[in-house]
Amino acid sequence: MDMSTGKITIPGRTETIRAHKARGGKVAAVFPIHYPRALLRACGILPVEVWGPPGMDTSQGDAHLQSYTCPIVRAGLTFLLQGGLEQVDLIVVPHACDSLQGFGSILLDFIKPAQPIVPFYLPRDSGEPARRFLVAEISRVLDELCEIDCKRPSSEEIAQAIEREERADSLLAELLAQAAQLPISDRDLYRVVRSREYLPSEEFKEAAKALLERKTEKARSGIPVLLSGIVPEPAGLFDAIAAAGGRVAGDDLCCSGRRLYPKGKGDDPLVRMADGLLSGPPDSTRGSVVDARLDHLMDLVRRHQARGIIFYSMKFCEPELFYLPQLQQGLQAAGIRSVVIESELDQHFPDQAVTRIEAFLENVK
Amino acid sequence: MNPLGSLKYHLNVNLLGRSFLRFDRMRLTRRMRRVGFWKNEYLSPPLMTSPWLKELIASHYLKGRYANGHGPVAWVTSGGPVEFLVALGYYVLYPENHGAVCGIRRSAEDLCIMAEGHGYSRDICSYARTDFGAMLGGKTPVGRLPRPDLLLCCSNICQTVLLWYRVLAHHFKVPLILVETPFLYRDALPHQVDYVKRQLEAGVEVAEKVAGRSLTPSALGLVARRSKEASLLWAEIMTCGKQCPTPITAFDEFIHMAPIVEMRGEQFTVDYYRAMLAELKGRIEHKLGALKNEKKRILWDNLPIWYRMRRLSQLLAERGVAMVASTYTNAWGELAEMMDSSKPIESAARVYLHPILNRGTGHKLETIENMAREYQADGIILHSDRSCKPYSVGQMDQREKLAKEMNLAALLLEADHNDPRVYSDEQAENRLEAFLEVLGA
Repeated sequence: MDMSTGKITIPGRTETIRAHKARGGKVAAVFPIHYPRALLRACGILPVEVWGPPGMDTSQGDAHLQSYTCPIVRAGLTFLLQGGLEQVDLIVVPHACDSLQGFGSILLDFIKPAQPIVPFYLPRDSGEPARRFLVAEISRVLDELCEIDCKRPSSEEIAQAIEREERADSLLAELLAQAAQLPISDRDLYRVVRSREYLPSEEFKEAAKALLERKTEKARSGIPVLLSGIVPEPAGLFDAIAAAGGRVAGDDLCCSGRRLYPKGKGDDPLVRMADGLLSGPPDSTRGSVVDARLDHLMDLVRRHQARGIIFYSMKFCEPELFYLPQLQQGLQAAGIRSVVIESELDQHFPDQAVTRIEAFLENVK
Repeated sequence: MNPLGSLKYHLNVNLLGRSFLRFDRMRLTRRMRRVGFWKNEYLSPPLMTSPWLKELIASHYLKGRYANGHGPVAWVTSGGPVEFLVALGYYVLYPENHGAVCGIRRSAEDLCIMAEGHGYSRDICSYARTDFGAMLGGKTPVGRLPRPDLLLCCSNICQTVLLWYRVLAHHFKVPLILVETPFLYRDALPHQVDYVKRQLEAGVEVAEKVAGRSLTPSALGLVARRSKEASLLWAEIMTCGKQCPTPITAFDEFIHMAPIVEMRGEQFTVDYYRAMLAELKGRIEHKLGALKNEKKRILWDNLPIWYRMRRLSQLLAERGVAMVASTYTNAWGELAEMMDSSKPIESAARVYLHPILNRGTGHKLETIENMAREYQADGIILHSDRSCKPYSVGQMDQREKLAKEMNLAALLLEADHNDPRVYSDEQAENRLEAFLEVLGA
């Protein structure tokens, strides 16, 4: 990625996988959304997330999944069936919704790819029973990883991995918080932001720091808006926002802003990991309370002085779709405007959505 | 509870309502006994217990209508661990069952449209939209739904219910007890059972606080015993479908399952199923089939298509095809043996973790294969239900396996359990005709 003030190189997924494997490491393909990243790293595994990819002809996946299943899952399955995950050593399927639940299950029971499948269940509650469960669940995942020939890390190694990931998360938070002062387009900014999905945290930190050093005093021009949703794909979304005179000022995306986990508490590293995961920002895929989601959105709007919210909603995504009416109603009562743009993980950003974004930005400027 | 509310309840439910409903049941029973009452060429007359079922359902909603002010009210998911609520004296309403009633009475579509008008997407579950439509517009074919004092959501049927109940909790501003059941890709692990148990214990405390009374072990034990007894009876009722000819079809079960879902833990539910079982045994003895001429036997997978039950039932009966069992109705009986009323909470933790919908797609395939053998099925209709992903995802592979490995005729029928707008009679019946040809019916 070239910028007027310097050059930051962000390697792609394939390059990153090759480099990690060349160093003797293992690679896990990880489906959305929440998972114990530090645990995988402590076991010498690089998690590389699979969010689609967009623009796939999903006919191979459609032989196993109905058309009303989540587009990310259908694209991900097609990608797997087409050999896109041949280089990975295992597949982690977090339980984020009914589609991912079914996906994990058919992988285990019917499709049976060459790689081991490791499901992971994140509790939707956050009380003491959930905390206790999550510690045991992370411990189970650790045992499964060890069974598939990954090294068993010591407690100290896990603690170090947690610290590395927490530092990377805080840099990601800083990137998102300082977005307005970074001399870079949203499309390019999100190349850096989303490299968190596959880069080793050490490399991500270097990229993030290099970008943050370019920070300017003057804020970028454009109507500031908050972007909420699952994943900003296709990236033409950013071009559409920019072309309509807007810029992404705040982030409430599952792939980025909703994974800014605070530092976990606890002496035991697994307890600390569980605490961090359970303390993340309110998220529909975690079944958060509607008021918590609403307060969080309003807080983001205030902090980033956003003029409105674009809900970039994925087709058939029940976690997002259930919350939208009450969120929009609450936001409207607080004088915050919002619009819902529906996406199907197409290759190109649809013209109709461009028009809706233009109309929305005209109304909030 | 307030005295006026209780007075209204007793007057309308216990005095007037009960008398009227009992009279109506007797009237219907007499009518069914009349010569010439039943004219259907292909289907045998309905069970004589049917008027009793009608009375139970009407009485249930009548109690709901006057429940506010008389006692605490809870809205609960269909797979929810309801025993402690019943033991605490809650009136329990199941929005999914109410959704099914709306589907059968053809009012679900209007309620869905009402919800969509308030911003709810057509891509979310049609039961939820039906419920939201009733919540937002106040219309329901059952008169009036009581306002909840408490919500209980158990995720053992889907994740959708959690999202649905978050919406309800926000709307009604009442506490929500969440009982999460981690999905079982394989056998249950100790930490999964322990998690459910701890949530149940925490849930009891919340329910006690809202109800303003304490749960006694004897009351919980009694309800748990009744719950188990009714579940065992229900399981036995379904096994009657193994007889040739079958005295009951899955279409009958879809209707007669209402008490086991929404009236578990009550003595009248036990009494009702005991009478129903006796009647079925009588039919078996007299070789009276549910179809007048049973030629082929099939299974059903997934929720019914509520608004097309009668039409599908008739269409299959005309071809001599008996739908002898369904994975859906089976779910309310298959875990009965796991229940232990002497350890109601511990046993509930295990039982409520194990419904078919909380287990892997491979487990469901095994269940279908076993049912196909036990019920001597020639084929299966897998309802690919747009509104129920946990039930539907996996069906495409299941169909392949059933066809190839068991030589079962298997049809994937695209529909939605409650929203008729995504169902095409012509398309569905064309596919059904082709399936029946393969079946040789």
